Amino acid sequence: MATYFLRRLLLMIPTFLGSTILVFTILQLAPGGPLEQTILQLQMGGLTGGGEGGSGSAVGLDGGSVLPESALKELRRFYGFDKPIYQRYLIWLGVWPREIKHRDFEITSTSTEVEKRVGKRDGKIWKVDIRMDENGRLFVFEKDGTKSDIWAASIDEAREDGTKEAVIFQQEYSGILTGNLGKSYTYLKPVTEVMKPRFRISLFFGLTGFFLSYLICIPLGIRKALNHGSVFDFGSSVAIFIAYSIPGWALGGVLLVLFGGGSFWDVFPLGGFRSPIEVWETLTPFEKFVDQIHHMILPVIAWSIASFATLTILMKNSLLENLSQDYIRTAFAKGLQEKRVVWVHAMRNSVIPIASGIGHILGVVIAGSYFIERVFNIDGFGRLAYEAILSRDYPITLGFLVVVVLIRLIGNIISDLALATVDPRIRFK
Amino acid sequence: MKFLKKQEDRHISILRKRWLKFKTLKRGYYSLITLSGLYGISFFLPMLINNRALVVQYEGEMYFPVFSGYIAGKTFGQDVPGEARYRVLKELFKMKNNGNWVLMPPYPYSPYEDITMEGNKMYEPPSTNHWLGTDNTGRDVFARLCYAFNISISFALILTVINYIFGILIGGSMGYFGGKFDLFFQRLIEIWSSLPMLFVIIIISSILKPSFLLLVGIYTMVNWIGMTYLMRAEFYREKAKDYVAAALSMGQSNFKVMFKHIFPNALVPVITYFPFSIVAGISALVGLDYLGFGLAPPTPSWGQMLDVGLQNVTKWWMVFSPVSAQFLTLLSIVFIGEGVREAFDPKVYSRLR
Repeated sequence: MATYFLRRLLLMIPTFLGSTILVFTILQLAPGGPLEQTILQLQMGGLTGGGEGGSGSAVGLDGGSVLPESALKELRRFYGFDKPIYQRYLIWLGVWPREIKHRDFEITSTSTEVEKRVGKRDGKIWKVDIRMDENGRLFVFEKDGTKSDIWAASIDEAREDGTKEAVIFQQEYSGILTGNLGKSYTYLKPVTEVMKPRFRISLFFGLTGFFLSYLICIPLGIRKALNHGSVFDFGSSVAIFIAYSIPGWALGGVLLVLFGGGSFWDVFPLGGFRSPIEVWETLTPFEKFVDQIHHMILPVIAWSIASFATLTILMKNSLLENLSQDYIRTAFAKGLQEKRVVWVHAMRNSVIPIASGIGHILGVVIAGSYFIERVFNIDGFGRLAYEAILSRDYPITLGFLVVVVLIRLIGNIISDLALATVDPRIRFK
Repeated sequence: MKFLKKQEDRHISILRKRWLKFKTLKRGYYSLITLSGLYGISFFLPMLINNRALVVQYEGEMYFPVFSGYIAGKTFGQDVPGEARYRVLKELFKMKNNGNWVLMPPYPYSPYEDITMEGNKMYEPPSTNHWLGTDNTGRDVFARLCYAFNISISFALILTVINYIFGILIGGSMGYFGGKFDLFFQRLIEIWSSLPMLFVIIIISSILKPSFLLLVGIYTMVNWIGMTYLMRAEFYREKAKDYVAAALSMGQSNFKVMFKHIFPNALVPVITYFPFSIVAGISALVGLDYLGFGLAPPTPSWGQMLDVGLQNVTKWWMVFSPVSAQFLTLLSIVFIGEGVREAFDPKVYSRLR
């Protein structure tokens, strides 16, 4: 058993790499990425700044004739597009050195050694010597003659007159593996910092919906199974069919129109996670509680409706199937009371399929949140990812992917563990 | 076996037995008839819901604008730029009463005509003219709803069929051949299923700006695993049975064994999952259209209508109409699915006490 789960854990690694490589490649090869968009923006800005914006026909807008080559280089470096794609992926992963604090300099054709000021250390000006060997490789030395372990240098481009443009930079290993998801292009903050509060909101909704649906579905499923074929069973089946045929977010939209003060009743707010921050700050703790509940009712209904149908049916069918088994007949034949037979004998076997779904819940919650968060205007995790795709904010897009993939992979294992815990017959190998 | 009335009925094929059983399940059977009937009719929508006239009789000559397409207003002596305004023309001819006449389709609005056509207003509530009101650009909601019905079902059908072809081919080979081929695809499936699919579709759609077929392609690319896994299990199980060994010992080729012998025995999940795949396909299209990553505008679509409606919650008809249309469509498919499942995999629960 332990080896099974160990193997599962190890198999997570290639799966994780595979899925991130796939999405990373799609994003990096896509036309109209962040680099192109920034260049376009800068060029448009440059044109309007020069007073030619109104001229309409953008003369000479073709790649880089407006932006100087150095600025383009700078941009490519900022977005990491100066490296081949496999290096970009490895840098993002954190196993290839990321180059930071670039400083450009030149080496004339006659010299092989350059002195370069790289900043300050201990309050004094920090200078290093850069020497070139016969193969054209650059080495950085500190002033005391030792090889620098902080700085590295490489040649960018050789000009026709023999002068070489070179760059000196620091190297560091930072990526997914070191917990650095990069910096968002739009928020200009570390991705983890942007994602954390958003994730909390989605999780809050998701877990509330999750507990609520389990609290309703399991008793409902049991009652339906025990009264199979009754009026109650039929009536609740209608509700289940309705719930199954309407996506939660669309139902959320209908609820908003009905109760959000649009055309009918004005009972609930139109959206948002809670009242705006100015109002929220003035509320007493009790009012805060009420306000939160008030904002949550509609989204949580929309959220839980998705699992309502499947979960109830699963519970019902599972219990029904067990009730028709031979061991139940034996239990009745022994003269046991019906209560004991149902709740002790049948129930223990019936919750097995329900338990196995537990690990997947979080993944389902996060994946389904784009729609509901958009309908109810909640600044949650799904909406963040959706907006990141729209604005080509790759660090956030990939950060979202990493979180979701990890949740799913771990969720699968948790499901298996839960299954093994409630069902001692199951032996993984 | 109540539904097998006559004695000779007991010798018919299992598939026919199941069909007879399905017919006794009224909910599913009538849903199937209604839905396929409506879907069939929806191919003739241009003749039923259109702003182009079916027939125009003008100065002793007959015109068929629905079939012939664009006819300039000047042809009928109408002083308008561009295409003839048939609704106006009809009133005009009626008033003059000089032998000219126009036969309009039963519902004379097109899903594409917006406020640029005279007489159309934005956000008109439902009325006898516009049964379900008009949308943010003055287009008729009912007309768009009906056209979107055809597009949604066609999308889901094509999607499911393509998905199934891939699923059966790849999954069948995985289960039948096993070995390295199986292992490779298993890893691939594991990677695929760890990805949030909707997210990937949105990324690709945001880059490619998909057309109908491209969207089907993208969706298939991310969704082939469901059927593949099912088929793998079926073929794997069937492969071990004696009849396969018998067929192989008679020198049948692998291809023949797979598709002539095993496949008919693996048909049950293919058929029982079909309706639910359609439900998933329609829901996905509505969702993508709602997010703005689906079919390019101005294609009529329920999701796009919902998007407009949810931006103006006071225009309730813009929300209720597409949701109800989607709901009724999906509900009848779910009924069909339930009936099919019942016919193929009857479970009789006995309460013993």
